Amino acid sequence: MTFKLFNLLVQASVWTIGISAISIVIGFILALGLSAALLSARKLYRRPAEFFISFFRGVPLLVQLLLIYNLLPFIGLNVPSIVAAIVGMSLCTAAYQAENLRGGFESVPKGFIEAADMAGLSPRQIFMRIKAPIALRLTFPALVNEAIMILKSSSLVSVVGIVEITRMAQDLASSTYMPIEIFSSAAIIYLAICWIVAMTGKYVERSLPGAVK
Amino acid sequence: MTLPAISVQNLVKRFGTSTVLEAINLTIPAGQVSCLIGPSGSGKSTLLRCLAFLEEASEGMITVNGEALGFFENSRGERERLPLAQIRRVRSQIGMVFQQFNLWPHMTALGNVAEALKTVHKAPKAEAEERALAQLTKVGLANRAGHYPSQLSGGQQQRVAIARALALQPKIMLFDEPTSALDPELTGEVLNVMRDLATEGMTMVVVSHEIGFAATVAQQISFLDQGRILFAGAPGHVFAKPRHPRLEQFLDTYLDRGASMLV
Amino acid sequence: MMFDPNVILRHMPEIMSGTAVTLALWITGMLLGVILGFIIATLRRYGSPLLDVPLGLIVEVLRGTPFLIQIFLVYYGGPFIGISLDPIPCGLLGLSIYAAAYYSEIFRAGYQAVPHGHFEAAECLGLSRLQIIRRILLPEMALIVLPPSVNLAVILLKESAVLSIITVPELTTTVSAIGSQEYAFLEAIFLLALIYWFIVEAAARLGRAAEARLSTYRFAAP
Repeated sequence: MTFKLFNLLVQASVWTIGISAISIVIGFILALGLSAALLSARKLYRRPAEFFISFFRGVPLLVQLLLIYNLLPFIGLNVPSIVAAIVGMSLCTAAYQAENLRGGFESVPKGFIEAADMAGLSPRQIFMRIKAPIALRLTFPALVNEAIMILKSSSLVSVVGIVEITRMAQDLASSTYMPIEIFSSAAIIYLAICWIVAMTGKYVERSLPGAVK
Repeated sequence: MTLPAISVQNLVKRFGTSTVLEAINLTIPAGQVSCLIGPSGSGKSTLLRCLAFLEEASEGMITVNGEALGFFENSRGERERLPLAQIRRVRSQIGMVFQQFNLWPHMTALGNVAEALKTVHKAPKAEAEERALAQLTKVGLANRAGHYPSQLSGGQQQRVAIARALALQPKIMLFDEPTSALDPELTGEVLNVMRDLATEGMTMVVVSHEIGFAATVAQQISFLDQGRILFAGAPGHVFAKPRHPRLEQFLDTYLDRGASMLV
Repeated sequence: MMFDPNVILRHMPEIMSGTAVTLALWITGMLLGVILGFIIATLRRYGSPLLDVPLGLIVEVLRGTPFLIQIFLVYYGGPFIGISLDPIPCGLLGLSIYAAAYYSEIFRAGYQAVPHGHFEAAECLGLSRLQIIRRILLPEMALIVLPPSVNLAVILLKESAVLSIITVPELTTTVSAIGSQEYAFLEAIFLLALIYWFIVEAAARLGRAAEARLSTYRFAAP
C-alpha cells in the first residue's frame, strides 16, 4: 500500500463529500416543504407527503438509485449519472429529514408559544422568531446524524458508476490485488470524515445561542 | 364606584364532557392584589388562563377595564366572538407570568424582554434594549442581561419573565403559580419582586400555593374547590376561624410552607 | 415499453426464492446481531474495563463506515487471510456483525436507562450479577429497547439489498436479473421497490403491534 494509492482514495473522497453535501442541502429544502405538509391540518397536503415519506423510507437506497437511474432516461431526461445519484440521495434524505423536522416542530414546548402569544406577537412572528428557531435547534443533532448516514450511504452511488471512495477502492483493489489494505484505507477515510462531521456538529450545537453547555 | 379591572360573569369552562369551571363570578378591583387559592385540580389555573384568553371560556363573559374579552353579547342576547384585532388589543393590557417561566431559550435575558418591544411595538433596537434593561434593573438582574435562560437559576429566570411581561406596560399582571417550579430557597426573590409590584399599585391576580404571600399581600382571596369559588373576601375574613372544612383541609396540606401565623 | 404481468407470473418461483433468501438472511442476521450485540453491551458494562475500550473502538469503526466497505473487506479481503466465503455465508457474517454493532448501542442505552438503584436493591438481596441481568435488568429494558430495535430491523432489511453487489442471490439480485433477461429493467426495479416497501411496512406494523402489546404490561423503568 503506497502513499500514491492512499492519495487516490483521498482525492475520490471529494466526490463522496460533494454528493453528500449537495444531497443534504437539497434534501433539507425539500424536507421543509414536506414537514409543513405533514403538519398541515388538511389531508389534501398531508396524505401525499405521508405517501412520499413512506415510500422513500420503505425502499432500500440502492433500489431507489437503480430506479431513478433508469427512470430519468425513460421519461426523456438524459442526464449524467451524477445527477441521478444526487436526485436519488436527495429524495431519500428529504424523507428522513422531514420526519425529523416534524418531530422538532411538534416538540416545541407549548409554553414558549403561549408566552409569545401573550407578548402580542402575530402568528407569523411567532413562527419566524420563536417556533422555527427552537424547532431547528431541537432537530440539529438529528440533522448531523442524518448527514453521517448519508455520507455512509453515498458508497452506494458507486453502482451507478461514480468514482467516489468506494468505487475507487474497488477499482484499485482489483488492479493491485491488495483488497485488505485498500478497503481498510477506505474505511479509515470514511471514519475520519464521519468523525469530523460529528465533532463539527457537536461544536456548532454547543455554540448555538442559549445552548445548555 | 370605580370600574373593576376584570369582571367575570357566569363563566363556565368545559374540556370535552368534563366541566372544570362552573358558574364563576369574580371581580378583580383595580390596583389590588387578588389571590386564587385552592387544591390541585380545583380549576384555579384554568380560570387564570381564561382571564388571559389562553383558554376560551365555554360560557359567560369577561370584561377587562369595561371592554369585553374574546366574546360579547350581541343585540339579540347571543354570545358572539370578537374579531381577532379586538381580542389582541384588549389582551395587550394583560401581562402573564407562567409557572415554567417560558423564557425563549435562544434569546438572552435582554433579548427576551426586548423581543416584543421590537417586533410588536416596532421600537428601534437601541430604544427597545434600553427599555428592556430598565425593566431588568427593576427586578435586580441588570448584570445578567447577556445571559441565556440556561445560564440563569430558576428564580432569576422567573424574574426575567416578570420583566418581560412588565416591559409591555400592562395594566394587569396575571401570575400562574409563579414559584411552584422553584426550589424553596429561590421563591423569596420572586415573591419580593411581586411584593414591590403590589406596593406600586399594580393590579395583580395570583394563583399560588404560597399561603403566606396571599395572607400578607393580597387584598382579596378566592378559594376554589372543584371548579367553583367556595367563598371570597379579605384575608382576615377568609382565614378567620371557624373555617370552612374544605379550607381547613387545604391549609393542613400547605401550611408548612411558611404561613405559621394562620395556625 | 408495456408492463406485462405475465412476466411476473412466469418468474414467480425465482421471485419467491429471492424473497425467501432476503427474509432468511435478514432474520438470521438480526437474531445473531441481537445476541452478539447483547453480549458486547453486557461485557462493556459488567465485564473487565480492559474489554470496554477495544470493544467500543470496534463498535465505533463498524458504525462509522459504510456497510458496503465492510462487505467488500470480508468478501474480497477474506481470501487473502485464508477465509474464503461464498456470497451467502459472507453476506450473513457481514450483516450479523454490522447488526451487532448497532444492537450493542441499543442495549447499552437500555442498561443506562434502568436506574442504578434497581441493580443495588437486587444486589443487597443477594442476587448474582447474572441473575440481576436476567431477572431485573432485561425485563425492565425490554420496553426501552424495543422501539429502536424495530427501527434497526427495518434498516437491516434495507441494507440487505446491498448484498446483491457481491451476488448473493437475494431479492435485488434476482429481480434485477429478471429485468435484464426480459429487457424490462425499469419495470423490474419498480416491482422490486414495491416488494421491499410491502415487507418494510409489514415489519414496521408488526413492530408497532409488539410495542403496543408490551406497553400494556407497564413495567417500564420510570
